Amino acid sequence: MKLTKNDPVELAIFQSMVHSIAEEMGAALRRTALSPNIKERRDYSCAVFDGRARVIAMGDHMPVHLGSMPMSVEAAVAAIAFEPGDIAILNDPYAGGTHLPDITMVLPVFRPGSERPVSDKPEFYIAARAHHADVGGMYAGSMGPAREIFQEGVRIPPVRIVRGGELNRELLDLILLNVRTPKERRGDLDAQIGACRVGEQRVLELIERYDAPRLSALVEQLLDYSEERVRAELRTIPAGAFRAEDWLDSDGVTGEPIRICVELRFDPADAAVTIDFKGSSRQVAGAVNAVRAITLSACFYVLRCLMGDDAPATASILRPLTLVTEPGSIVDAQPPAAVAGANVETSQRMVDVLLRALAQAIPQRVPAASAGTMSNLTIGGVDPRTGEPFTYYETAAGGMGARPGLDGISGVQTHMTNSLNTPVEALEYAYPFHVRRYAYRTGSGGAGQFRGGDGLVRELELLADAEVTLLADRRVFRPYGLEGGTEGAAGHAWLARAGEPQAEELPGKCSLRVPRGSRLRLETPGGGGWGEGVERQDS
Amino acid sequence: MRVAIDTGGTFTDCVYLRDGAIEVLKIASTPKDASVAVLEAVARIGVGQHLDLRHGTTVGTNTMLERKGARVAFVTTEGFEDIIAIGRQTRAKLYDWFAPVPVCLAPPELRFGVPERVSAEGEILRRPSEEELAALAERIGQSGAEAVAISLIFGFANPETERRLEAALSGLGLPVSVSHRILPEFREYERGATTVVNAYLAPRIERYLLNLQQRVHDEHPGARVDVMQSSGGIIPVRLAAQEPVRTVLSGPAGGVIGACRMASQAGFPRIIGCDMGGTSTDVFLADAAAGGVARTRESNIAGVPVGVPMLDIHTVGAGGGSIARFDTGGMLRVGPVSAGADPGPICFGRGERPTVTDANLVLGRLDVSSFLGGGVALDRPRTERVMAGHKGALATVEDFAAGIVRVVEAQMEKAIRLISIERGYDPREFALVPFGGGGPLHACALARALRIPKVLVPKMPGALSAVGILLADSVRDYSQTVMLAGDRLPHLDGYFADLERRGVEEFASERLQGVAECSIDLRYRGQGYELNVPYDVAQPENAAAAFHDLHRQRYGFADPQRPLEIVNLRLRMVAAAEPYEPVWTAPRPGDGAAACFATREIFFHDRFVPARLYRRDHLVAGDRLEGPAMITEYTSATLLPPGCAAEVDGYGNLILHIAEEAV
Repeated sequence: MKLTKNDPVELAIFQSMVHSIAEEMGAALRRTALSPNIKERRDYSCAVFDGRARVIAMGDHMPVHLGSMPMSVEAAVAAIAFEPGDIAILNDPYAGGTHLPDITMVLPVFRPGSERPVSDKPEFYIAARAHHADVGGMYAGSMGPAREIFQEGVRIPPVRIVRGGELNRELLDLILLNVRTPKERRGDLDAQIGACRVGEQRVLELIERYDAPRLSALVEQLLDYSEERVRAELRTIPAGAFRAEDWLDSDGVTGEPIRICVELRFDPADAAVTIDFKGSSRQVAGAVNAVRAITLSACFYVLRCLMGDDAPATASILRPLTLVTEPGSIVDAQPPAAVAGANVETSQRMVDVLLRALAQAIPQRVPAASAGTMSNLTIGGVDPRTGEPFTYYETAAGGMGARPGLDGISGVQTHMTNSLNTPVEALEYAYPFHVRRYAYRTGSGGAGQFRGGDGLVRELELLADAEVTLLADRRVFRPYGLEGGTEGAAGHAWLARAGEPQAEELPGKCSLRVPRGSRLRLETPGGGGWGEGVERQDS
Repeated sequence: MRVAIDTGGTFTDCVYLRDGAIEVLKIASTPKDASVAVLEAVARIGVGQHLDLRHGTTVGTNTMLERKGARVAFVTTEGFEDIIAIGRQTRAKLYDWFAPVPVCLAPPELRFGVPERVSAEGEILRRPSEEELAALAERIGQSGAEAVAISLIFGFANPETERRLEAALSGLGLPVSVSHRILPEFREYERGATTVVNAYLAPRIERYLLNLQQRVHDEHPGARVDVMQSSGGIIPVRLAAQEPVRTVLSGPAGGVIGACRMASQAGFPRIIGCDMGGTSTDVFLADAAAGGVARTRESNIAGVPVGVPMLDIHTVGAGGGSIARFDTGGMLRVGPVSAGADPGPICFGRGERPTVTDANLVLGRLDVSSFLGGGVALDRPRTERVMAGHKGALATVEDFAAGIVRVVEAQMEKAIRLISIERGYDPREFALVPFGGGGPLHACALARALRIPKVLVPKMPGALSAVGILLADSVRDYSQTVMLAGDRLPHLDGYFADLERRGVEEFASERLQGVAECSIDLRYRGQGYELNVPYDVAQPENAAAAFHDLHRQRYGFADPQRPLEIVNLRLRMVAAAEPYEPVWTAPRPGDGAAACFATREIFFHDRFVPARLYRRDHLVAGDRLEGPAMITEYTSATLLPPGCAAEVDGYGNLILHIAEEAV
């Protein structure tokens, strides 16, 4: 039975219901997780899938998970003959994952019968993903400059962590033995299992409320609906092939720039788009290789932005998309490439490239390049006030690209991330730092009819000897402007070692030991400008 | 005589106690100068001696929403001038490339840096010289600023420099808001923003309140004037004028307190409140055993965080005026855009786009004669005609209208799920308390969807805010970030004594006698968020136990071995309002037939069915009615679907019994 499109009311209510399932799972996960990364930075995603592993609802959590959650469920379904009471776990980027810290759980939901499920096929799946603060490997935090995936942490293919309702303790012990903070990991994994169960409960309520044909009709209608919304946008985009390229400065190992290029082919008659990354660099030695799931997330993000903020994220947003990637390239990495930094850096550059191509098709609807790097800073050492070790990790926002009709916003997280900063006062309570400056980096936004947002300046004095690790980009290749707007300023980092008169400029990707009393100054990139520059009064 | 007056957009509600009973007077608001209606209401009641006037004001909210506050100079530590604009680096909408550039209440040319620094431990690392302060005062004086907000990094840890700044700027003749008094708590952005909001509101609210007070005193010498705070407590007008940031949600707070008081008197200590107005719906959850309505220190008013305590009210953009449309995928959407007062819904005569109110009219769910006190003529033929042009693929105007109502109810349901299920509460253990113009109309449907068995429609649902203001306690909140190790728990009496001294002095100067309630914000060391637990100076270790318990309840685990950190100390001075015992009438079984004034066709589920209409003010205690029915009153109507029943309790509340829907 297929419902006609004339049921816009039932559809709206169904959509609201499934979306609130994903939201409630997220709330449960946030409430019960142990680690600050999940609780505060909200680095997690929860989603509901139909029996064919198609996503029908996803919480508004992390854009970088958009396209990659479905791949996790597909991988789990392919690998495991699910039975009631099972929950799968996985993190292998080469089998449904993204990078190793992202651990995903998948739970099948069967329609209950009087004694046993009415079918041995699940009617829905539930998935919960969380970024774990450490999954082992050669660097604390599992986000360091590794050269191959084996150095990045414990790899988990799709396997059952819960079997017939029973926790698989042997598997859990194996995982926990391989991580630095097993107690915290155990708590976060429990929270993920709990979130899956919350989702299961709510889906069972749906199943109770609707009979199977009605439910499957509503699912189809919801999927058709999002497809129609994305196609409605694609019909407004002119036919043609639009090419663009941009670069990552380097992988931190060889110093060679890394090319990402794309061709968008729009066919408004068919309301379809092909995204072809041919010509992108081969995968590299450093940890910025993206598995295809990340690339798909970047495409998903761009399509979703075209549709407006209220569009539900479902599988059918990708129906009009044909994604072409070359295995072994920087956008479709193959084992044993290291991948940890692709979520935070390469994903941003892919969005930059996609927007640059899109701007040729619909110049009035696309912003210039934003900062394009999350400027990841990790500082570790021993706090002299307590004698205890500390590890600080934070990303820093930059300038947003100018928009046709609007300046870019300054000092704001853009595109694939939206995490909160740590207040200066919280920082000084918690770490042996003294913040000397935290301000807009005035003038760093690109010029133009509309100006790019400015980046930020942050200056820290270290009150302890420390190891400083920087993972940042846009030092060489600056955020582009559009329609005659100029580039945003490049990012910089300066280190004034204690007792040395001259500050040295640091490369974008590095790790070094610095003495107490040193000062670190981070300048994040500005956004690109939009439109031919005209003299404007300063506001 | 105690009188509470709540200014709303359309009506100014006035309630007062006469012979132990609450009386209501509603008059038209006077938007140009709200105090005109306030004084008129006072005059109309005819108060005798000793006026005790309590006021709920929207001046603060409107100033924020309309962005009509003062030009604020933001004064902070040199190097940190932009923190007030940078915020927390996040964007409001994840997938919107065209989000407007946020407008900071302190514009770039009015941000001033001071060469000074205080450490986390409160040590002054750098003191500005007198010359530097004088130069700063000069620059600010020439800047065109109309108010000043001072918030230094770690200014609360040692307020010396903030005080010197305040003294140096006192000659400018501008209202100065200082962070260590407004919100002496860590997190520089939230504290700074709260201080800036205070400065932004100060000139306008001060002018309004002091003018009101003057005019009240002209007529009623010696009268007491108090103002409702967003936290649900009353403060004297002088303090409200100094700290207007505490009044931004004055009116809604009254509604919450009113709903809680009425419900707990009626025997419902655990409630979910739902206040549906024209453009939005406020929902909240209150559990008397857990201290009533939760308060939050993470409110956001018109895009600006405000850190002073407020009642935890969640707002969704779904109200009577919300506009319905089909999106590009063909799905029916309702809100958040509202038809507002101009042009208003179609049925008011000028609107061209269907709203929730229009849908209710088409379904027979508005009583034309009593809607908004009978003051607005509703044009049903026009509504049906215009709606027919917007109904898309739906077969009939009634299907369209029923769809709009279902969609808006789904949004309200989602909001209630968020404040209950997502925070670990089961809504089935609560009573739903609907109020505001639209709440009682949608309450049964909402209760059904959430499987809430009982609904309480309080007496006077349209004037509940004023009732809450009338019954509220006088409250003043004090706090201080201390950031101490958990082993300092038994040694906090000195800090609390300082806070209490301030509280006692301020209350005494207002002729109030208060009781101090102490609490502390605790966390496990290394965590980035805190939980608030009661603190008893005599038994300090109880606070730690309470923290572990609360952590387990809220987050599912606790670890008594893990070291604690004492983040903030809080002290609440409370002077209880005079007790109010509502009039109770022994219920006598009845069927309410005397209150029935008509039978009309009302649309339920998929068709029109005949339903009885009752006048609420003619119902008496003990009357019991069965749905389908509608109970109308001044400014509101309660809809009773088939299968549900209503009962009038001894206090005049309607108790609705919700039956599961037979589909």
